[in-house]
Amino acid sequence: MASLIHCPHCGVRPSQEFSIRGDASVVRPAPEASDEAWHEYVHIRSNPHGRHREHWQHVAGCRRGLVVERDTFTHDVFSVTDGAAVAREGGR
Amino acid sequence: MTKTYISRHPLEGRIPLEPGIRAVDHLEVPRRQAIVTVMAADGEDTAVAAVLATMSEPSLRCVGPGEWLVVSQSETPEGLQRSLALVLAETAYVLDQSDGRIVLRLSGPNVRRILAKGVAIDLHPSVFGLGAASNLLCGHVNVNLARTGENEFELIVMRSLAESLFDDLRLMGREFDLSADFSG
Repeated sequence: MASLIHCPHCGVRPSQEFSIRGDASVVRPAPEASDEAWHEYVHIRSNPHGRHREHWQHVAGCRRGLVVERDTFTHDVFSVTDGAAVAREGGR
Repeated sequence: MTKTYISRHPLEGRIPLEPGIRAVDHLEVPRRQAIVTVMAADGEDTAVAAVLATMSEPSLRCVGPGEWLVVSQSETPEGLQRSLALVLAETAYVLDQSDGRIVLRLSGPNVRRILAKGVAIDLHPSVFGLGAASNLLCGHVNVNLARTGENEFELIVMRSLAESLFDDLRLMGREFDLSADFSG
């Protein structure tokens, strides 16, 4: 477990203040997309060894959703960005 | 049938009626306090922050981006909410929290050492200076911690968790003979 997360709003905080909300790389399909596409989006997850992008929520702090890029093997944290900023960049 | 509701402070059973000897490190519990949440509407963050910065008496507690707690000793909860709603109008959502939150004020030369037992952030004045405030965990309890003086901190906690946090703080302060009493 990566024990210290640098929240862009609150500064360096212990990971106990956060809640992990899962893979941030999956993209929600269109409402009319096929059942297979929805099944893939809702249920199927990879379990990567290494660099991974995840949604983290700072529940005990600013309560914002964040996108944390970290290594699942070494626990290094590469970047932490506000979820809203990431969504805007992606045009969502 | 009419029912009379009596407002009761959640720490009334915890703090003895007779005030004991006040130690140098003291935990003060204000009986009444107006606490209001202000949440900026989408895209209005800077405009709301600018308006709040111009207000004189009530103190401002940062919660997250575009969200604040406004605390006032002198104003009534209704009055504070009304005046904020009037000033901020359409740019923010204003909600009274006075009945749901409790303020605990820690002061004394050893407060930083007391708080360090439960709080995981750096409380040195160069990092967490006067007027700084943030939501964080104290033990397992969510609190809003603010520095209100060189050796003074205020914790705002949910009413239902106030007793638990109070007990924790008493335990954290036992080494320094922390005293506790109501004020106001």
